[in-house]
Amino acid sequence: MSASPLIARLVDALRCLPGVGPKTAQRMAFHLLERNRDAARELSKVLEEAMVRIGRCESCRTFSEDPRCPVCTARDRDPRLLCVVETPADMAAIESVTGYRGMFFVLMGHLSPLDGVGPAELGLDRFQKRIESEGIDEVVLATSSTVEGEATAHYLAEMVRERGIRATRIAQGVPMGGELEFVDGGTLARAITARRDVDV
Amino acid sequence: MIRTERIDLEPAFVLHSRRYRETSLLIEAFGHDSGRLAVVARGALRPKSRMRGLLQPFIPLLISWRGRGELATLTAAEAQGEIVPTQGSATLIGFYVNELLLHFLHRHDPEPDLFETYRRTLQRIALEEDPEPSLRIFEKRLLQATGYALQLEREAKSGARIVPDARYIYRPDSGPEPWDPRRHSGAGISGETLLALSEERLSKRDTLREAKQLMRRVIFAHSGEKTLISRNLWRRRRSSDAA
Repeated sequence: MSASPLIARLVDALRCLPGVGPKTAQRMAFHLLERNRDAARELSKVLEEAMVRIGRCESCRTFSEDPRCPVCTARDRDPRLLCVVETPADMAAIESVTGYRGMFFVLMGHLSPLDGVGPAELGLDRFQKRIESEGIDEVVLATSSTVEGEATAHYLAEMVRERGIRATRIAQGVPMGGELEFVDGGTLARAITARRDVDV
Repeated sequence: MIRTERIDLEPAFVLHSRRYRETSLLIEAFGHDSGRLAVVARGALRPKSRMRGLLQPFIPLLISWRGRGELATLTAAEAQGEIVPTQGSATLIGFYVNELLLHFLHRHDPEPDLFETYRRTLQRIALEEDPEPSLRIFEKRLLQATGYALQLEREAKSGARIVPDARYIYRPDSGPEPWDPRRHSGAGISGETLLALSEERLSKRDTLREAKQLMRRVIFAHSGEKTLISRNLWRRRRSSDAA
């Protein structure tokens, strides 16, 4: 059966979602048409509105429909502590489980010269303004534990230290519930190098 | 002719990788016998993938792959020997070295000697206080291996031997010519620097500075006059070091 032009367009449009191939897209399209038209209408409305209204927070660069996001405008957070992450998803992860109550800066990527991503693409001019003007005491570097993430952390750490501010890097090592035997070599090597005193 | 190849446990480095589909990586690697090759690492980004932490630049690997034509499939990767954690500044220089390789290496051109040079260069820049001499030697050997060898012992036109005390102007396409203050701008390059680069004995500050300028011009000329992005990162760092 070949689908009508409009259905074909719907299926094609759904394929823009990550992990959705032609089969899944078709299942989604028929599901919405058959049993969930109200939800689909709501989805299309929200999608439209979100695409128009959501921009970047002018302070931390995360996605936000207001000029400054709720985290940046909250009054009960510590403005002297700034955490740098690569993506809004990383920021959400830290927000939801860690009890961190400082501010954020979202790079939207990491330094990757071979992909043409340099300091300008990561908005580091804005980062520089923030650390120079906001009276920050400590910058927590929470970039990924990849070579690019480490290089980015190093680059930022130099910027931060030049201005007499403390730079810290999130700890790395054995995961919760991790048995040493099964931890990969690189992680184990880091865990041994970065060992710390036991609090008693 | 396209034939299916199957390579097991070849020493290799990842030069660059980017995401491919949901959980895979598209990797530009440099293999000891295969030269530069493109491989797909399927599922490498899945949380339980054992390759996840390994498929990073600067880690000496043994890779197995199979495939034909341009794009091969990675079937296994393991670390070869001790994993030396690369520190930040060495990483930035490493990016530059990788960018050079990606510029100058063609796919499937075996370069076993250059591979060894690369491996040693990575170790040196991670350990040495001043990475510049090692970098210059790497650049020189890279140019040599890829058909742009520098002419450092004789003049381009006359074929006369280079004299340490004389000054020369270096033309990227042909080689050194005697420097003439009335015709040439700048200060030229000393014969001593050309010979030091030829013998790979770079220790004096002036020699290093001249060698760096020479390499920058020659690489710029041979890389299609493209500016290498990673060099800018590194230069910023160096200038802030000096300040």
